[in-house]
Amino acid sequence: MASKRCQQPHTDSTGRHGEDDALQSRQWQRRSKVIGGDSPGALQQIPIYAAYDRYEPPKIFILPRKATNEARVVSLPNPRYNKPTRYLVCPETGIYEFTRITAPKSTPRSWLIDINANDGTGAEDKEKPDPQKSDGDDREFGAYVTKGAELYLATSIDPVFLLLPALVSEETARGEGGKKMFVESDDYFDQLSKASPHFSEILRWGSIRQLLESRMATVCDTVDAGGELMYRFSKEKFLTEMLSKAKRMSENSLPPSMEEKFVANALEAPVLGLKREDTTTTDSSASTPKAESTESTENTTSHTSGASTATTLVVDEEATAAASDLKASMQASPEVTKLQRLRVAFSFICSSYTPPPQVSQLKQQLLEQKKLVDFSPLDDYLAQVAKLRQEAASSRSMGDYSRKHVLDEEELMDRAEKKRKMEDDEKRKKAGESRGVKNLKKVNTSGMKKMSDFFKKKT
Amino acid sequence: MLEARLEQAMLLKKVVDAIKDLVQDCNFDCNDSGIALQAMDNSHVALVSMMFKADAFSPYRCDRNIALGVNLVSLTKVLRAAQNDDVLTLKAEDAPDSLNLLLESIEADRISEYDLKLMDIDQEHLGIPETEYAATIQMPSAEFKRICTDLMAMSESVTIEANKDGIKFAANGDIGNGSVTLRSHSNVDKPAQNVDIELTEPVTLTFSLKYLVNFCKAQPLSERVRISLSSEVPLLVEYLLSNDKNSGHLRFYLAPKIGDEE
Repeated sequence: MASKRCQQPHTDSTGRHGEDDALQSRQWQRRSKVIGGDSPGALQQIPIYAAYDRYEPPKIFILPRKATNEARVVSLPNPRYNKPTRYLVCPETGIYEFTRITAPKSTPRSWLIDINANDGTGAEDKEKPDPQKSDGDDREFGAYVTKGAELYLATSIDPVFLLLPALVSEETARGEGGKKMFVESDDYFDQLSKASPHFSEILRWGSIRQLLESRMATVCDTVDAGGELMYRFSKEKFLTEMLSKAKRMSENSLPPSMEEKFVANALEAPVLGLKREDTTTTDSSASTPKAESTESTENTTSHTSGASTATTLVVDEEATAAASDLKASMQASPEVTKLQRLRVAFSFICSSYTPPPQVSQLKQQLLEQKKLVDFSPLDDYLAQVAKLRQEAASSRSMGDYSRKHVLDEEELMDRAEKKRKMEDDEKRKKAGESRGVKNLKKVNTSGMKKMSDFFKKKT
Repeated sequence: MLEARLEQAMLLKKVVDAIKDLVQDCNFDCNDSGIALQAMDNSHVALVSMMFKADAFSPYRCDRNIALGVNLVSLTKVLRAAQNDDVLTLKAEDAPDSLNLLLESIEADRISEYDLKLMDIDQEHLGIPETEYAATIQMPSAEFKRICTDLMAMSESVTIEANKDGIKFAANGDIGNGSVTLRSHSNVDKPAQNVDIELTEPVTLTFSLKYLVNFCKAQPLSERVRISLSSEVPLLVEYLLSNDKNSGHLRFYLAPKIGDEE
């Protein structure tokens, strides 16, 4: 439930539409249809939905299969950005966030959506048609081509994050002397309802309330007051919770793009030869992360690219093994790599789901509480890498004459070019000079005053 | 825009021929009174001032002041195409990139058209005051040219001495010395051959012959030349355009040589 899917860096987090369209989920006509449902293969297994109404171009969604048909799209405040953001709330299975996956601008794509072709297939059976707007719409709708090739992906989100704004808020639970008080869950919910009218609505759905309260308990100190549980936000519990999330995320390996950019590159030590190689990438390429079995459905292209880099890395490894003298001056131990991954995962979760003030607090706590995680081996290693890099950079700037030589050559070319230009100019000028003018230059004009000595300049 | 029709294309050709050996690039400043030119040689010891009055053209139209930056060698190349009886029309926009020259031969029913690229030339204009000269000589232009070229053989510079006896052009060189003296005289049959000397006070000045010979390239313009001298001021050599005072003039100024001259 709480396991976080890592968003690929190029995808935008969730359809943050921001408008306060009151309970638009209802009018939104989340009419789900399976696309390509009768074709064999993996696609059949993934419920893909096209949400549409009469006025807006349809949008393509991938919803979790465990979400029931009662699930609705609602607008709740985003914990990080404090803006209304759409979430999918299923009364039975919990809350899902949307990740928008867009085609890069360089390779524009579009969706061809054919609704009628799939009538009566699996998803259609499950679907509960809106009684007011029935089949008439479908026929009217037919096939559709939309140029916005966006794909919305619903993945589970821990409701704790949604509760966070209320839990850490200054308004609620503020007792005398600025001390936090134990407060009923309803008080927290009330505050959230103020920000989003949808919130009070979803509280009444199925087991949502129990879910929220149970999650709230994980980050709060609780007190039983006459059969009524009271909650108070606990920084320590929250930190533990966050850390366990980060650990789960970084257990095997981060998604390839993150792994390469934030782990491999960060730990890479300079090679004092021609080739730069980092041995830490070995484990990342060797282990195909389990988490990615789900991710591959999210973003196939990135997965394949990840696989291809993995192979090239292995090849490079062999090459360096052959030329044994070309070794990285330092290698990150598995422990260090693990710590770096954990740190990356932690800061990713922080930067995606946690309000900025809490982030700095969390990081501070993490530093102080060494018994939870001790990052000192990683810090030592990074300090060493930084030092090596600095040395490598300075030695290069001092010792790399070939590079300087190239510059010089360019400069020389420039100079030659300039000289030629000037000569050309001179030649042209000479061509515009008559013989008489040339001859006059040879005249001895000593003892002759200039004209400007006799005649004043006109003003 | 500028539109100026000159009955005798040769007139402009002669002017340009006279200037082109002294100046390389210069601005033709066009305004409603005509086309003027003022330029100095590279050493800034000589100055040429030309005035083509609007009356010299028929018709002449110039709405606003235009500076035509011309390379005189290039202009000479174009004007070389002009034949004796050609009519020349100059045309230019208000902020021109090029000068349009139209050469029409009435006799041969031929029209040649040239566009001459213009350039931006930074030029400062000197204000030349009206001067009362100590001596003014009017003489046949061919005679002046002859004296100058003859004395060139002797020396690089000539000393011009004007007194009540006449005008003496004297040159002192390595191979020896020579001089030409002119006295005022009038030829009744051929007034163009007259030598008129007006003298308010005697004056003696030395000039570079090379420059004077250069000035003499304007000789084809006019049968007469007027030479004006005063001590401590530049020599003025003036040719009228086409023997007609209303057409305009071409004036050359030359700084005298001072000091260690033989």
